[in-house]
Amino acid sequence: MKNWLVILTVIAAGTFANAQVSDQAMMATIRGGTYVPLYSLDTAATIVKPFMLDVYPVTNLQFLEFVKKNESWQKGKVKQLFADSSYLRHWDGALLFGKDSVKLAHAPVVNVSWYAAKAYCECYGKRLPTVAEWEFAALANETKPNASADSGFYQRIIDWYAKPSHNRALKNIGSTFKNYYGVWDMHGLVWEWTQDFNSALTSGESRSDSSLDKDLFCGAGAVNAKNLKNYAAFMRYAMRSSLKAKYSVGNLGFRCAKDVHTP
Amino acid sequence: MNKIFFACVTLLFVASCHTKKEFKLPDVLPENSIYNLTSEWKTQEGETVQLKNFGGKINVAAMIFTACRSACPRITADLQRIDAGLKNKHKSDVRFLLISMDPERDTPEKLKKFALDHKLDLSRWTLLTGNADDVMEIANVLDVRFKASKENGIDHSNIIHVIDPSGVIVHQQVGLAIEPDETLRAIEKLYE
Repeated sequence: MKNWLVILTVIAAGTFANAQVSDQAMMATIRGGTYVPLYSLDTAATIVKPFMLDVYPVTNLQFLEFVKKNESWQKGKVKQLFADSSYLRHWDGALLFGKDSVKLAHAPVVNVSWYAAKAYCECYGKRLPTVAEWEFAALANETKPNASADSGFYQRIIDWYAKPSHNRALKNIGSTFKNYYGVWDMHGLVWEWTQDFNSALTSGESRSDSSLDKDLFCGAGAVNAKNLKNYAAFMRYAMRSSLKAKYSVGNLGFRCAKDVHTP
Repeated sequence: MNKIFFACVTLLFVASCHTKKEFKLPDVLPENSIYNLTSEWKTQEGETVQLKNFGGKINVAAMIFTACRSACPRITADLQRIDAGLKNKHKSDVRFLLISMDPERDTPEKLKKFALDHKLDLSRWTLLTGNADDVMEIANVLDVRFKASKENGIDHSNIIHVIDPSGVIVHQQVGLAIEPDETLRAIEKLYE
């Protein structure tokens, strides 16, 4: 009897794991709309065309499948041009998670460079979402596509940003909240790479006479400091502007997007 | 007689080594070589090339877009100042690359026109345009940040890169209208 129970449990667990793996590749359709970038010389809204977005961030297990098929992206084999030395540092080996394997399997993969994330998405016929797409999808809370008027929603995001992420094991995907579009974990789990993260210019690198600097720093930081909503987005912009494509960061993961093909 | 001939040949060989450094693309690329990128590009003549086709020479590169009215002509002028500052004997080893960050508008024809307008010596200067994804990738490799801005402009970092014959970036000149001395020294250093 006991044996049966064990077998049943194994089967159930296996089914569950399989379901999760296939679910992880699921995408939600985000109907487009307009999005007003936080820092922009234009006051005009950016038009976001309809697109598909992964329901979950990419997990360690999914990334493992990818590097099994694509040797050049394995830890220890990836070229310095495409990843720094922190690449997949939370894994024990090229194809090995190590002692935390149970915890890691369905947790979002982190410590991956922009190049690796881009290569992963391309491998599955997808791409990274643009900043505008990501921010547009991230406006939604559980019930509304645009929760920017909901101060409670932004307070939750700020509260998450305020928690230090070091020494804290990442939770599994699907452990925060599912938004209006059916997309999980846009806030509260990991920061995510975007296709054009490098569009956030910082003072040292842009034209010194450009008004962009002013827009990036004075405009947002000073004028809108009371606005919690902008503060959350400001944090994300600041984070993006500090990144380089080869960086691998312990709380930075990704998910993929795709164009909607109209028949 | 034979001995003297041999000595002469040896002397000639040694002497030539001292006057002229031979650059070549190594068989195994360094890991951080930009020639590891496999993207394909179109030149101003419409030819398809990969970046590693430019290997084996010293390249001085920058990203531009031809519809740019303010910074790009200045960055091109900065590159021309570097070219003018090169020692004559080094000129044939050094090439100039202008990579467009505006793939939608910068067709090979536009690039050709830009080259002619700026009187670029096309035996040593090449202009490249590619697809949006590859432009994003090379921008990241070169640490160039850019963002579309109003009136069809693009706000972008101004960086001039010195790339050694194996594809490794050995120097970056950041900003506009910078004296070329430091960049020229970085090029000279490759001859040591």
